[in-house]
Amino acid sequence: MPMEASRHIPSFIAECWWHPFRKVGHATVLHVDLTAHAAREAEALAWLDEEERARWQRYQYDGPRRRFALCRAALRAVLCDRLGCRNEQLAFSASDHGKPYAVVQGKPAPVSFNVSHSGAHGLIAFAAAGRLGVDVEERRAPCDLDGLISSVLGPDEQAELALARGCHKLRLFFNFWTIKEALIKALGLGLSLDMSQFEIPSAMRQGKATSIFRFPQMPTVRWRLEDLGNEHFAAAIAHELAPDSN
Amino acid sequence: MASTAERLRELIAENLEVDGQPIELPDDLNASLLEAGVSSMDLVAFARVVSQEFNVAFSPEDCANINSVQGLIEHLDSSAG
Repeated sequence: MPMEASRHIPSFIAECWWHPFRKVGHATVLHVDLTAHAAREAEALAWLDEEERARWQRYQYDGPRRRFALCRAALRAVLCDRLGCRNEQLAFSASDHGKPYAVVQGKPAPVSFNVSHSGAHGLIAFAAAGRLGVDVEERRAPCDLDGLISSVLGPDEQAELALARGCHKLRLFFNFWTIKEALIKALGLGLSLDMSQFEIPSAMRQGKATSIFRFPQMPTVRWRLEDLGNEHFAAAIAHELAPDSN
Repeated sequence: MASTAERLRELIAENLEVDGQPIELPDDLNASLLEAGVSSMDLVAFARVVSQEFNVAFSPEDCANINSVQGLIEHLDSSAG
Protein backbone atom coordinates (compact mmCIF):
# COMPACT_ATOMS: atom_id res chain seq x y z
CA MET A 1 0.00 0.00 0.00
CA PRO A 2 1.46 3.44 -0.85
CA MET A 3 2.60 5.41 2.16
CA GLU A 4 2.04 8.89 0.85
CA ALA A 5 1.51 10.34 4.30
CA SER A 6 4.76 9.02 5.74
CA ARG A 7 7.39 9.64 3.10
CA HIS A 8 9.33 11.96 5.36
CA ILE A 9 8.82 10.45 8.76
CA PRO A 10 11.45 11.42 11.30
CA SER A 11 14.48 9.19 11.03
CA PHE A 12 14.21 7.95 14.61
CA ILE A 13 10.76 6.46 14.00
CA ALA A 14 11.56 2.88 13.11
CA GLU A 15 8.10 1.97 11.91
CA CYS A 16 4.86 3.79 11.29
CA TRP A 17 1.86 3.08 13.46
CA TRP A 18 -0.39 5.00 11.07
CA HIS A 19 -1.51 3.86 7.63
CA PRO A 20 -3.76 5.03 4.78
CA PHE A 21 -7.36 4.11 5.54
CA ARG A 22 -9.67 5.86 3.09
CA LYS A 23 -9.91 8.65 0.50
CA VAL A 24 -13.14 10.63 0.80
CA GLY A 25 -13.43 13.17 -1.99
CA HIS A 26 -10.48 15.50 -1.51
CA ALA A 27 -9.85 14.34 2.05
CA THR A 28 -7.46 11.61 3.15
CA VAL A 29 -8.12 9.51 6.24
CA LEU A 30 -5.39 7.61 8.08
CA HIS A 31 -5.85 4.92 10.69
CA VAL A 32 -3.60 5.12 13.75
CA ASP A 33 -2.87 1.93 15.68
CA LEU A 34 -3.23 2.83 19.36
CA THR A 35 -2.62 -0.56 20.94
CA ALA A 36 -0.20 -0.52 23.88
CA HIS A 37 3.36 -0.41 22.55
CA ALA A 38 6.04 1.07 24.83
CA ALA A 39 8.68 1.53 22.12
CA ARG A 40 6.29 3.43 19.84
CA GLU A 41 5.14 5.64 22.69
CA ALA A 42 8.75 6.49 23.55
CA GLU A 43 9.38 7.38 19.91
CA ALA A 44 6.22 9.45 19.79
CA LEU A 45 7.16 11.40 22.91
CA ALA A 46 10.45 12.47 21.36
CA TRP A 47 8.48 14.02 18.49
CA LEU A 48 6.27 16.20 20.76
CA ASP A 49 7.09 19.75 21.79
CA GLU A 50 7.41 20.95 25.37
CA GLU A 51 3.77 22.00 25.70
CA GLU A 52 2.54 18.67 24.34
CA ARG A 53 4.78 16.73 26.70
CA ALA A 54 3.37 18.76 29.62
CA ARG A 55 -0.13 17.86 28.46
CA TRP A 56 0.95 14.22 28.15
CA GLN A 57 2.10 14.29 31.77
CA ARG A 58 -1.19 15.77 32.95
CA TYR A 59 -3.17 12.73 31.83
CA GLN A 60 -4.08 10.66 34.88
CA TYR A 61 -4.47 7.36 33.06
CA ASP A 62 -2.20 5.32 30.81
CA GLY A 63 -4.69 4.77 27.98
CA PRO A 64 -5.53 8.42 27.26
CA ARG A 65 -1.84 9.34 27.69
CA ARG A 66 -0.80 6.74 25.12
CA ARG A 67 -3.55 7.68 22.66
CA PHE A 68 -2.63 11.36 22.84
CA ALA A 69 1.09 10.75 22.25
CA LEU A 70 0.67 8.26 19.40
CA CYS A 71 -1.98 10.34 17.61
CA ARG A 72 -0.20 13.68 18.04
CA ALA A 73 3.15 12.29 16.82
CA ALA A 74 1.43 10.72 13.80
CA LEU A 75 -0.33 14.02 13.09
CA ARG A 76 2.99 15.88 13.31
CA ALA A 77 4.65 13.48 10.88
CA VAL A 78 1.74 13.74 8.44
CA LEU A 79 1.53 17.54 8.57
CA CYS A 80 5.30 18.03 8.30
CA ASP A 81 5.25 15.82 5.22
CA ARG A 82 2.32 17.67 3.69
CA LEU A 83 3.51 21.17 4.54
CA GLY A 84 7.18 20.54 3.83
CA CYS A 85 8.26 21.88 7.19
CA ARG A 86 10.47 20.61 9.97
CA ASN A 87 8.93 19.25 13.15
CA GLU A 88 10.30 22.09 15.27
CA GLN A 89 8.64 24.63 12.93
CA LEU A 90 5.20 23.12 13.51
CA ALA A 91 2.98 24.13 16.44
CA PHE A 92 -0.71 23.93 17.23
CA SER A 93 -3.15 26.57 18.34
CA ALA A 94 -6.88 26.29 19.03
CA SER A 95 -10.05 28.20 18.22
CA ASP A 96 -12.30 29.64 20.96
CA HIS A 97 -14.16 26.34 21.10
CA GLY A 98 -10.96 24.31 21.27
CA LYS A 99 -10.64 23.09 17.68
CA PRO A 100 -6.91 22.80 16.94
CA TYR A 101 -5.23 24.18 13.85
CA ALA A 102 -1.65 23.99 12.62
CA VAL A 103 0.75 26.91 12.78
CA VAL A 104 4.06 26.98 10.92
CA GLN A 105 6.57 29.63 11.89
CA GLY A 106 3.84 31.66 13.55
CA LYS A 107 1.31 31.58 10.69
CA PRO A 108 -1.81 29.38 10.28
CA ALA A 109 -0.87 26.58 7.88
CA PRO A 110 -2.85 25.89 4.68
CA VAL A 111 -4.19 22.53 5.77
CA SER A 112 -7.40 21.36 7.34
CA PHE A 113 -7.33 18.38 9.68
CA ASN A 114 -9.17 16.64 12.46
CA VAL A 115 -8.31 13.78 14.81
CA SER A 116 -10.39 11.30 16.79
CA HIS A 117 -9.55 8.27 18.86
CA SER A 118 -11.35 5.56 20.78
CA GLY A 119 -9.77 2.54 22.43
CA ALA A 120 -7.19 1.04 20.09
CA HIS A 121 -8.18 3.11 17.06
CA GLY A 122 -7.35 6.62 15.95
CA LEU A 123 -8.32 8.41 12.75
CA ILE A 124 -6.62 11.46 11.24
CA ALA A 125 -8.40 13.24 8.40
CA PHE A 126 -6.76 16.00 6.39
CA ALA A 127 -7.36 18.04 3.24
CA ALA A 128 -6.06 21.19 1.59
CA ALA A 129 -9.19 23.19 2.35
CA GLY A 130 -12.69 23.01 3.83
CA ARG A 131 -13.60 22.43 7.44
CA LEU A 132 -13.24 18.79 8.47
CA GLY A 133 -14.56 16.65 11.28
CA VAL A 134 -13.94 12.98 11.97
CA ASP A 135 -15.17 10.73 14.75
CA VAL A 136 -14.38 7.14 15.69
CA GLU A 137 -16.00 5.15 18.47
CA GLU A 138 -15.51 1.59 19.59
CA ARG A 139 -19.04 0.21 20.03
CA ARG A 140 -19.22 -0.15 23.81
CA ALA A 141 -22.75 -0.17 25.20
CA PRO A 142 -23.35 3.03 27.21
CA CYS A 143 -25.02 2.78 30.64
CA ASP A 144 -28.10 4.69 29.56
CA LEU A 145 -28.55 4.18 25.84
CA ASP A 146 -32.17 5.34 25.83
CA GLY A 147 -31.25 8.49 27.76
CA LEU A 148 -28.52 9.30 25.25
CA ILE A 149 -30.88 8.67 22.36
CA SER A 150 -33.39 11.16 23.75
CA SER A 151 -30.62 13.71 24.43
CA VAL A 152 -28.79 13.77 21.12
CA LEU A 153 -31.13 12.50 18.40
CA GLY A 154 -33.91 14.34 16.61
CA PRO A 155 -37.47 12.97 16.32
CA ASP A 156 -37.01 11.14 13.00
CA GLU A 157 -33.72 9.63 14.16
CA GLN A 158 -35.37 8.48 17.39
CA ALA A 159 -38.23 6.94 15.42
CA GLU A 160 -35.72 5.04 13.32
CA LEU A 161 -34.01 3.63 16.42
CA ALA A 162 -37.33 2.75 18.05
CA LEU A 163 -37.77 0.11 15.35
CA ALA A 164 -34.37 -1.48 16.04
CA ARG A 165 -33.50 -4.00 18.75
CA GLY A 166 -30.42 -5.28 20.57
CA CYS A 167 -27.10 -5.19 18.71
CA HIS A 168 -28.66 -3.58 15.67
CA LYS A 169 -29.99 -0.71 17.80
CA LEU A 170 -26.56 -0.18 19.36
CA ARG A 171 -24.86 -0.29 15.96
CA LEU A 172 -27.34 2.18 14.50
CA PHE A 173 -26.95 4.53 17.46
CA PHE A 174 -23.15 4.59 17.07
CA ASN A 175 -23.58 5.14 13.35
CA PHE A 176 -25.82 8.19 13.98
CA TRP A 177 -23.61 9.49 16.80
CA THR A 178 -20.38 9.41 14.79
CA ILE A 179 -21.97 11.22 11.84
CA LYS A 180 -23.37 13.94 14.12
CA GLU A 181 -20.14 14.21 16.12
CA ALA A 182 -18.13 14.51 12.89
CA LEU A 183 -20.43 17.36 11.82
CA ILE A 184 -20.14 19.32 15.07
CA LYS A 185 -16.38 18.78 15.09
CA ALA A 186 -16.19 20.03 11.50
CA LEU A 187 -18.16 23.11 12.47
CA GLY A 188 -15.77 23.63 15.38
CA LEU A 189 -18.43 24.54 17.92
CA GLY A 190 -18.05 21.56 20.22
CA LEU A 191 -20.90 20.76 22.56
CA SER A 192 -22.32 24.28 22.25
CA LEU A 193 -24.33 22.94 19.31
CA ASP A 194 -27.34 20.92 20.45
CA MET A 195 -27.01 17.61 18.58
CA SER A 196 -30.76 16.98 18.71
CA GLN A 197 -31.45 20.14 16.70
CA PHE A 198 -30.29 18.69 13.39
CA GLU A 199 -30.83 15.30 11.78
CA ILE A 200 -28.62 13.33 9.45
CA PRO A 201 -29.96 12.70 5.93
CA SER A 202 -32.63 9.99 5.76
CA ALA A 203 -30.65 8.11 3.10
CA MET A 204 -27.79 7.61 5.58
CA ARG A 205 -30.19 6.68 8.37
CA GLN A 206 -31.34 3.89 6.12
CA GLY A 207 -27.88 2.57 5.35
CA LYS A 208 -26.45 4.64 2.50
CA ALA A 209 -22.72 5.21 3.10
CA THR A 210 -22.50 8.79 1.86
CA SER A 211 -24.64 11.88 1.48
CA ILE A 212 -24.64 15.67 1.26
CA PHE A 213 -25.84 17.56 4.32
CA ARG A 214 -26.88 21.13 5.11
CA PHE A 215 -27.43 22.51 8.62
CA PRO A 216 -30.93 24.07 8.79
CA GLN A 217 -29.37 27.28 10.19
CA MET A 218 -26.86 27.59 7.31
CA PRO A 219 -28.43 26.05 4.20
CA THR A 220 -25.89 27.45 1.76
CA VAL A 221 -23.00 25.45 3.23
CA ARG A 222 -22.81 21.83 2.05
CA TRP A 223 -21.05 19.03 3.85
CA ARG A 224 -20.01 15.71 2.41
CA LEU A 225 -20.71 12.92 4.90
CA GLU A 226 -19.31 9.43 4.73
CA ASP A 227 -19.74 6.46 7.01
CA LEU A 228 -16.26 5.02 7.73
CA GLY A 229 -17.34 2.27 10.11
CA ASN A 230 -16.24 -1.35 9.93
CA GLU A 231 -16.45 -4.43 12.14
CA HIS A 232 -14.01 -2.92 14.67
CA PHE A 233 -15.48 0.56 15.16
CA ALA A 234 -18.10 3.10 14.11
CA ALA A 235 -16.68 6.17 12.36
CA ALA A 236 -17.67 9.01 10.07
CA ILE A 237 -16.24 12.06 8.35
CA ALA A 238 -17.81 15.42 7.48
CA HIS A 239 -16.04 17.69 4.97
CA GLU A 240 -17.19 21.13 3.90
CA LEU A 241 -17.60 21.31 0.14
CA ALA A 242 -16.36 24.26 -1.86
CA PRO A 243 -19.30 26.47 -2.97
CA ASP A 244 -18.63 25.77 -6.66
CA SER A 245 -18.09 21.99 -6.38
CA ASN A 246 -20.61 19.48 -7.70
CA MET B 1 -25.72 17.50 53.77
CA ALA B 2 -22.94 16.46 51.38
CA SER B 3 -21.18 19.27 49.52
CA THR B 4 -21.50 19.63 45.77
CA ALA B 5 -17.93 18.33 45.36
CA GLU B 6 -18.68 15.25 47.48
CA ARG B 7 -21.85 14.46 45.55
CA LEU B 8 -19.98 14.92 42.28
CA ARG B 9 -17.21 12.65 43.49
CA GLU B 10 -19.76 9.88 43.98
CA LEU B 11 -21.44 10.50 40.63
CA ILE B 12 -18.11 10.49 38.81
CA ALA B 13 -17.09 7.23 40.46
CA GLU B 14 -20.45 5.64 39.61
CA ASN B 15 -20.84 6.92 36.06
CA LEU B 16 -17.53 7.77 34.43
CA GLU B 17 -14.86 5.37 33.29
CA VAL B 18 -11.78 5.28 31.13
CA ASP B 19 -10.94 2.05 29.32
CA GLY B 20 -13.54 0.21 31.38
CA GLN B 21 -12.13 1.35 34.73
CA PRO B 22 -13.99 3.78 37.01
CA ILE B 23 -12.23 7.11 37.38
CA GLU B 24 -11.80 9.28 40.44
CA LEU B 25 -12.33 12.98 40.89
CA PRO B 26 -9.11 14.51 39.55
CA ASP B 27 -6.69 16.00 42.10
CA ASP B 28 -6.75 19.23 40.13
CA LEU B 29 -10.40 20.27 39.97
CA ASN B 30 -9.56 22.66 37.13
CA ALA B 31 -8.47 19.75 34.94
CA SER B 32 -10.67 18.99 31.95
CA LEU B 33 -12.63 15.74 32.07
CA LEU B 34 -12.07 15.38 28.33
CA GLU B 35 -8.34 15.66 28.92
CA ALA B 36 -8.66 13.07 31.67
CA GLY B 37 -9.73 10.70 28.90
CA VAL B 38 -13.51 10.79 29.32
CA SER B 39 -15.20 10.49 25.93
CA SER B 40 -17.60 13.13 24.64
CA MET B 41 -20.36 10.51 24.61
CA ASP B 42 -19.77 9.73 28.29
CA LEU B 43 -19.72 13.45 29.05
CA VAL B 44 -23.10 13.98 27.40
CA ALA B 45 -24.51 11.02 29.36
CA PHE B 46 -22.92 12.37 32.55
CA ALA B 47 -24.45 15.82 32.03
CA ARG B 48 -27.83 14.09 31.93
CA VAL B 49 -27.14 12.25 35.22
CA VAL B 50 -25.92 15.43 36.95
CA SER B 51 -28.90 17.36 35.63
CA GLN B 52 -31.29 14.81 37.15
CA GLU B 53 -29.37 14.48 40.43
CA PHE B 54 -29.14 18.24 41.06
CA ASN B 55 -32.37 19.16 39.26
CA VAL B 56 -30.46 21.69 37.17
CA ALA B 57 -30.86 22.14 33.42
CA PHE B 58 -27.80 22.42 31.17
CA SER B 59 -28.05 24.41 27.98
CA PRO B 60 -25.70 23.48 25.13
CA GLU B 61 -23.79 26.69 25.90
CA ASP B 62 -23.39 25.55 29.52
CA CYS B 63 -21.99 22.23 28.35
CA ALA B 64 -19.50 24.02 26.11
CA ASN B 65 -18.42 26.48 28.79
CA ILE B 66 -18.08 24.03 31.66
CA ASN B 67 -14.83 22.28 30.91
CA SER B 68 -13.68 21.27 34.37
CA VAL B 69 -15.05 19.77 37.57
CA GLN B 70 -14.48 23.12 39.29
CA GLY B 71 -16.54 24.84 36.58
CA LEU B 72 -19.28 22.28 37.11
CA ILE B 73 -19.27 22.80 40.89
CA GLU B 74 -19.57 26.57 40.42
CA HIS B 75 -22.39 26.17 37.91
CA LEU B 76 -24.33 23.83 40.20
CA ASP B 77 -23.80 26.03 43.27
CA SER B 78 -24.87 29.18 41.45
CA SER B 79 -27.93 27.43 39.97
CA ALA B 80 -28.94 26.21 43.44
CA GLY B 81 -28.30 29.55 45.11
